[in-house]
Amino acid sequence: MRTTIQVRVNGEDRRVEIDTRMIVAEMLRERLRLTGVHIGCATGHRGACTVFLDRKAVKSCCVLAADVDGAEITTVEALSSGPDDLHPIQEAFVENQGLQCGFCTPGMLLSAKALLESNPNPTEDEIRHGIAGNLCRCTGYHFIVKSIQDAARRLNGNGSP
Amino acid sequence: MISNEIEFHAPTTLREALALLASEGEDVTVLSGGMSLLPMMNLGIIRPEKVLSLNRVSELARVTERNGELVIGAMVRHQAVATDPLVQRHCPVLAAAAHVVGDVQVRNRGTIGGSVAHADPAADYLPALAAMGASVTLSSSEGERTLDAGAFFVDLMLTSREPTEIVSSVTVPKLPDGWRSAYKRLARVEGSFAIVNAAAVVAGDRSSATVALGGVGPKPVVVDISEQVRGGIDDAALAAVGEAAYEAAHGATGDLLSDASYRREMASVFARRALREAAAEGGGAR
Repeated sequence: MRTTIQVRVNGEDRRVEIDTRMIVAEMLRERLRLTGVHIGCATGHRGACTVFLDRKAVKSCCVLAADVDGAEITTVEALSSGPDDLHPIQEAFVENQGLQCGFCTPGMLLSAKALLESNPNPTEDEIRHGIAGNLCRCTGYHFIVKSIQDAARRLNGNGSP
Repeated sequence: MISNEIEFHAPTTLREALALLASEGEDVTVLSGGMSLLPMMNLGIIRPEKVLSLNRVSELARVTERNGELVIGAMVRHQAVATDPLVQRHCPVLAAAAHVVGDVQVRNRGTIGGSVAHADPAADYLPALAAMGASVTLSSSEGERTLDAGAFFVDLMLTSREPTEIVSSVTVPKLPDGWRSAYKRLARVEGSFAIVNAAAVVAGDRSSATVALGGVGPKPVVVDISEQVRGGIDDAALAAVGEAAYEAAHGATGDLLSDASYRREMASVFARRALREAAAEGGGAR
C-alpha cells in the first residue's frame, strides 16, 4: 500500500512516498539516500540503524515508516557536512581509532551523542551501558569507550589529553 | 522489505482503534512499540495483513494515580516507566524492571502494554507485576474488563486478550509505607532477555512476603514466602526461600540459553538475591 508521509529529517521538511511495508531505515536509505543508516540485522540487536526519532535514540529497523508521519528524525549525516567539519565525537573516534570496519560506527556515534547529552561526564561503566544497544564485532569496544571518554572531554571544552 | 502487503492504520483515539478491532479484529495485528513485532515481521515469522498502530493514541501514554493504585497506560514507554516519579515512588520494583529492559534504544520505543500483551515468559515486567499483585485492563468497543496478572497470563506468549480487545492499561497497587521490593535478573549480556528473573516484595513487619519468578515456565510463578521470612531475613530464611523457589520452578524447561535444571538452580539463587536486596537498608527505592 502506497502512502505519503511528512517528516522533518536532519532539519529539512520532506514529503516522502513510502510503501506501508517499509521500515524507517529503508525509507531513509532508499528514498532519502541517507546511507549512513546501516541495517545490520533488522531484529533490533545490532543498533547500526540507530537514529533519533523525536530526539530519542531508536533502532530504525524496528519502526514502520508509516508510523513516523509528522515526526522529526536525525541521522548521522546531521553530525557533519564533510571531512573538514567533523563533530567532536567523530574527531574523537578518528583520533582514538574507535572503529575498524566502520559498519557499527553511525549507530555508535549517535548513541554516544545521546549519552553525552544526558550525561556529559559518564564513567566507563555508564558509557558501556549507554552503548549496550550497539554491537561492534571488530573492536572489542575498548577503543570505542576510549573515544567516547575523549569526546566527553572535547565537548566539555577540555581538549584532547 | 517486509514481503506481504500491509494495510496500515494509526488512529488517534482509543475509540477509533476499538471500532476497527470490533469490525475486523480477527485480521488485525496491534502494534505498540514494535520491539518484538517488527523483528518478527522483518524475519517473516509473522505476516500481518492489517496493522493497527497505537503510537498516536496519546490517551494511552499516561501514568495516573487512583486511590491506592497507579494506572499505567499501555503506551507508556519503558524509559518513561523507569523515570516516572509516581512509579519510582509507589512501585519502585516496576521502575527497576523497566530500567533494564533491552537497551537504551529499546527502552525509548518499547511500551509496557506491548510487553504485557506479548507475554514473553522472560520479560522483565512480568515477575514485578506478579509480585505486586498487578492487574491488566482490556478494552473493547463493548467496554472493559480487568484481570489479575495470574488470570491474564495464560500460557507461553498467550494471554486472555480477545482479538477485539486492546491491552489499555496496567494497574499496580501502591507499595505500602515501610514495604520493600527488589528486582534481579540473570542474563548473558546486557540487552539479552533474562534467563531467569525474580521480583521480591516484603512487608515492613515481614507479615507478608512474595517472590515472583520469570523464565521458569510459560508464565510468572508467584511464591508466597511469608512463612519463611516471619522470624527475620537471616541465612536460614534465605536458604528456605531458595528451596521454595527451587520447588516452585519445577515447570522450568530447557532452551538454547540454559537447561531446565540450571534454570531451577538459578531461580533459587535469584529469589534469594532479590529478597536480600529488598531486605537491605535502602532496598526498594531502587
